[in-house]
Amino acid sequence: MRLVVALLWLCAGWTLVGHSAAANAADEDSFDAVHHTADGYYLDLQPIAKIELPRLFIVRSEQEGLQVRFFMSTASAVRSGLMQPDAVYEDHGEDPVDAEALIASGAHLDAHLVPTNGSLILDLSVTRHLIFALIASGIILYLFVSLARRYQAGIGREQAPRGVLQNMFETLIIFLRDKVAIPNLGEDNYERYLPYLLTAFFFILTCNLLGLVPFGATATSNLNITAALAAFTFILTQVNGSKDHWRHVFWPPGMPVLVKFLLIPTEIIGLFTKPIALAIRLFANLTAGHLVILSLIGLIFTFAEMFGPLAGYGVIPVSLGFVLFVFCLELLIAFIQAYIFTILSALFIGMAIAEHSHGEAH
Amino acid sequence: MYFGADLLAPNPGLVIWLTVVFLTLLLLMRRFAWGPITSALKTREETIADSLGRAEAALAESRRLQESNQQARREAEQEAQRLMRQARDEADQLRETELQRVRQEIADLRAQAQEQIERDKDNALQALRSEVADLAIQAAERILREQLDADQNRKLVARFMDDFAAGAQRGRTYRA
Repeated sequence: MRLVVALLWLCAGWTLVGHSAAANAADEDSFDAVHHTADGYYLDLQPIAKIELPRLFIVRSEQEGLQVRFFMSTASAVRSGLMQPDAVYEDHGEDPVDAEALIASGAHLDAHLVPTNGSLILDLSVTRHLIFALIASGIILYLFVSLARRYQAGIGREQAPRGVLQNMFETLIIFLRDKVAIPNLGEDNYERYLPYLLTAFFFILTCNLLGLVPFGATATSNLNITAALAAFTFILTQVNGSKDHWRHVFWPPGMPVLVKFLLIPTEIIGLFTKPIALAIRLFANLTAGHLVILSLIGLIFTFAEMFGPLAGYGVIPVSLGFVLFVFCLELLIAFIQAYIFTILSALFIGMAIAEHSHGEAH
Repeated sequence: MYFGADLLAPNPGLVIWLTVVFLTLLLLMRRFAWGPITSALKTREETIADSLGRAEAALAESRRLQESNQQARREAEQEAQRLMRQARDEADQLRETELQRVRQEIADLRAQAQEQIERDKDNALQALRSEVADLAIQAAERILREQLDADQNRKLVARFMDDFAAGAQRGRTYRA
């Protein structure tokens, strides 16, 4: 227990050190919490390094038609003269951008790049959040494949499971199967959807937890990523929807015809609000925690600026105490949100695949 | 901020990437992780349920066996007691009859002995009587023969009495 608290202190302290350094490096005298929480085309390993990620664009131009442009970094993309920041383009009209000045200021990293000639079809650049999603995938793939090996070797199948890791994950897997999958999907259907639910849970959980690690970023605090995840639930729901599910949507039973016409659009909207709610809930929860932590740390600098450096130092213990508290809260939220996403997915799929007799009115 | 990092910026490229990554992850996990794990868990649960069922059955079986064993033991005990009682009764009866027989024999023997003694006594008395008669006749003969002298008679009688005593002695000796 003491170890855990010490670890949390360390993480919280690290966040402080890392971000004050990042604030200094990136923008000299201002600190932007949103900047840290948002996605970007670099890995922020401040104060050690800042690694730019490769950029990949699909571009259509008048002369060359459809083409793929690949650059090892954002800097090289800007230097090539083929790509330029979107905002600058708007600000400066047709004026060419001074690439070196932009790179030196570090501002190119947050820029949305567009081709200097032609139009951008798709920006397939690797972002920080994608990298962390990949790391999370790698972690759970490694963990659970090695766990599966143990089971295949007979440990946990013929013999009792051994070790903290196996027991811990087994508890989670059995919990998801018995308390999430089976009650919502039914004894007969749950096996078909259990792999998805388990993968979603552990992927989201790992992404959430990676955000709490030094140098980490939270892939699930990106609306694009949560939307993609919610899309999986949406597609699973619609593809596997039973006849009853569709009849409910397009011809709700047990209603006067006029009410039916009122209900049909509502039902159709309802189909989409479910995954949208899933995506936004996950995104908002994970983003909020980070913003709160960073704001609490920012309190130190705000006090220092307003009442002098002494006040800044004086606020440190208070601020760090709150940060630690929110950190613990975030740890809790990491689990809770992964669980909520999973149970709601199971619930939505379960509602769609359910086949029930419609003698009664709804 | 210069370019304003945007929390809500749509990024279709990222959506495509994540879809690819997550789909790959899902397929890999289903094939190499969840499949073996969930099947192993299921196997284990079935094995445990099965074992519990078997243990329950074995327990019931052993209870039944114990019951029947106890029954058998009780029956055996009763049988043994019955046999012992029977044996004791038979022994008692045997002893009784034997005793009866022995007693009878003893009584018979005693009766025989008594008879023999009676017979011997009668014989002896008979013999004694005839002897005494003979002696009396002899004595009378002698008396008649030597009537002449009373002294002589007296001496004769005394001598006869002595002879008789000696004779009786001898006779008893002979008989023994």
